[in-house]
Amino acid sequence: MDVMLGQVLISGILLGGIYALISMGLTLIFGVTRIVNFAHGEYLMLSMFAAVMLSQHYGLDPYVATIPIAVLAFLAGAATQRFIIQPLLNASHASQIFVTMGLSVTLMNAALMVWGADFQSVRTPYEAVVLPLGPWSVGVPRLVTFLVALGMMAGLLLFLNKTYLGKAITAVSQDRMAALLMGIDVNQVYMVAFGVGIACVGVAGAVLVPIYSVFPTVGQYFALTAYVVVVLGGFGSMLGALAGGLVIGVVEALSGYFISPGLKEAVYLLIFIAVLVIRPTGLFGIVGSEEMGVK
Amino acid sequence: MMREREAGERRAAVPAGYFVAFGIIGVLVLLPHVITTPYYLHLLILVLLYVALSSAWNLAGGFAGQLSLGHAGFFGIGAYASTLLFLNFGLSPWIGMVVGVLLAVVAGAAIGYPCFRLRGPFFALATLAFGEVLRVIAISWRDLTQGSNGLSIPFKPGFANMMWQGKEMFFYVVLVYALVAVGIVWKIERSRLGYYLIALKEDDSAARMLGIDTTRCKLYAMLISAALTAVGGVFYAQYVGFIEPYSVFDVNQSIQFALISIIGGLGTVFGPVLGAFIMIPLSEMLRAAFGGAARGFHLVLYGIILMAVVMLLPQGVSQELKDRYKRWSRARQSAISRRKGQADAT
Amino acid sequence: MLLEVKELTRTFGGLVAVRDVSFGIESGEIVGLIGPNGAGKTTLFNLVTGFLPPTRGDVQFEGRRISGLLPNRVCHRGIGRTFQMVKPFGNMTTLRNAMVGTFFRDPDPRRAKRAAEEILEFLGLARCREALAKNLTIADRKRLEVARALGTQPKLLLLDETMAGLNPTEVADMLGLLREIRTRGTTLFVIEHIMAAIMAISDRILVLHNGGLITQGPPRQVANDQAVIDAYLGERYLIA
Repeated sequence: MDVMLGQVLISGILLGGIYALISMGLTLIFGVTRIVNFAHGEYLMLSMFAAVMLSQHYGLDPYVATIPIAVLAFLAGAATQRFIIQPLLNASHASQIFVTMGLSVTLMNAALMVWGADFQSVRTPYEAVVLPLGPWSVGVPRLVTFLVALGMMAGLLLFLNKTYLGKAITAVSQDRMAALLMGIDVNQVYMVAFGVGIACVGVAGAVLVPIYSVFPTVGQYFALTAYVVVVLGGFGSMLGALAGGLVIGVVEALSGYFISPGLKEAVYLLIFIAVLVIRPTGLFGIVGSEEMGVK
Repeated sequence: MMREREAGERRAAVPAGYFVAFGIIGVLVLLPHVITTPYYLHLLILVLLYVALSSAWNLAGGFAGQLSLGHAGFFGIGAYASTLLFLNFGLSPWIGMVVGVLLAVVAGAAIGYPCFRLRGPFFALATLAFGEVLRVIAISWRDLTQGSNGLSIPFKPGFANMMWQGKEMFFYVVLVYALVAVGIVWKIERSRLGYYLIALKEDDSAARMLGIDTTRCKLYAMLISAALTAVGGVFYAQYVGFIEPYSVFDVNQSIQFALISIIGGLGTVFGPVLGAFIMIPLSEMLRAAFGGAARGFHLVLYGIILMAVVMLLPQGVSQELKDRYKRWSRARQSAISRRKGQADAT
Repeated sequence: MLLEVKELTRTFGGLVAVRDVSFGIESGEIVGLIGPNGAGKTTLFNLVTGFLPPTRGDVQFEGRRISGLLPNRVCHRGIGRTFQMVKPFGNMTTLRNAMVGTFFRDPDPRRAKRAAEEILEFLGLARCREALAKNLTIADRKRLEVARALGTQPKLLLLDETMAGLNPTEVADMLGLLREIRTRGTTLFVIEHIMAAIMAISDRILVLHNGGLITQGPPRQVANDQAVIDAYLGERYLIA
């Protein structure tokens, strides 16, 4: 096999791991609330800045910082749901979408105010380390990210299937009305789901800092891709987020290689539209669930 | 305030409404002679441009309920079509506009038709992707569009070239554009299509059982909306004299069209008008007042105001004004009848 | 034969919702459809009006096949329908709701408005013409549902539990209205649970149970049918 092609595939898979990691929180949130949160990328951006700050002021390695950041992110997510989303649960789609848009603008520009537009990054001792894999090479930070994605998926699956709260979340995402009738406090479930989802984003942000530079609009770049992954993989499905991420990562890498680097975005966006039209529930979603709560 | 009275009195009696409307149009026509500062004229031009663009969006988004976040796609198609034809073939932008409109209509059908059955957020995401695809293509297809470098339109004033010295003529052109756009929406609202659009947005099944071809109605709304938006793109290109993928195919542009309609009032004729007269000056004022302070502060304020308005006035400003007017006139009525009752008793 | 249904069947996975149902409705009749909950009555309506395609079987209206057509095409053929859970266009006024119906026959807004006003008058809704549909009482909403459907001037009108939730006076009023609608030339096919009402108004009654048609005939005959009593009525129903 062509060595170059193999390397492209490997970087595609590793990129897929990154996308999967970013999307898991989103698939959980979107799967439960069915609200398109346009500020999703901004939470990622803020987590990345948090990791940078912790590194600059306390010398914390980003991987170590994932824990405090995850906690902060959980609180931020729960607060967002409680104070911004919950009041609008019965409002029109337009209102829900636009309040998150306002949030996105606010957060992005608040970051701009605080940190300025310059690219910031964290230097780590392992960022340039490369592991040889036959004729190819695998960057350590990207490999770690991939493993964290797998770990997060396993953790979330355990949470959703083995804990009461997790099962309540699954119930609400399948049928909100039925869950309500079963005595589940839907608002509380939403808060937890949002919190856990943003916590996942927090972890993703911290873990990505060794790989990417941080700047106020970095979230925008990842947000749309995250939605593509979530729809492709099937919202609500953790396995779907992993599968979707891998597909998009590989497609992007291959499109860049075979077609043109400029058009690789267009390729997966077109795939996105195709999936929405043909099978909105994605690869692993529950058929018909796209109708729920979306009147 | 001029706008408040307009929204209120329109429902009072039709003749009064027409008087007020013509009065306002008369004022607007004379405006460039009163406001000579280029900056304020420019602001007015922007406001009227967005009145038209948001009204166009409102047809698809507010009336038909198809929340599109990709309308910048139609805007950009209009801008690039007329500009490329002008630069490469010397074709007048007025004719280029027709081409742009046709292309936008085709694009509107292509993205709308398969996506109409998608519910709320999914349709929004699909159209968002559509707009982004066009932006990426515009950047990549350098042979055609010069990519991110954009296209500059050489300044050759003249009616055929849709370019003029100074801003007055641009103002009149955009005024006509805004009047046409609002007029079209107004006409549709009181026609069968308008009723059908609101019906299918309220309840799709019930609408179908009354013989409404919901897909066809949504398509009409989308196509008219795309056409009107493309016209705006042509005007923008000629007014600014420079277009590039990041400004005409910008997601934020799409968001702006939708935002103005939502703030003003979805699915109403004057919502977008009100919204544009509020939002554009507001963002300009914020930028002027705070833009120097700290980078991004004015946008932070803008974002917070946006969230507040969406949360506090979910039906939009025009509905809030209508409700207040109703309450005020009812209070006035009961006050009058109370006084009458007292007068009769004595 | 206005409506002819032949061996109509609809399955959802393993569940047979409607099983080999065959019947006919003549022009000018009022035909009732009764049966316990879950019998498949609304599913049958959905099959006839195009909201569901049949798994097997055929529906013909005025001799032409309508099974498989979409609801708006079914409306074009001359069939109207109300829904069990009423679906008013909540943010529109009562008059405008009715106009959505009358626009079907005439695209001109002024004529559609006049036709709508006549229908509202006929149904006793003229007093609430400016009220928002979402603010109407349940009885008025049910009447609005009928008014809208009448706007399309259907030859056959399917009514799904139009009287559920109405008090006895309102039921009596509605019965009178339905009879008048039939006199004016619309054939009626009515799902109802209120026995007194359906027995009083129907020329013929179809009884559905577990998706299958267990019997059909004049009200007296159906009321005395043992199978119907076992499945649904519980005891011999006395017709006054």
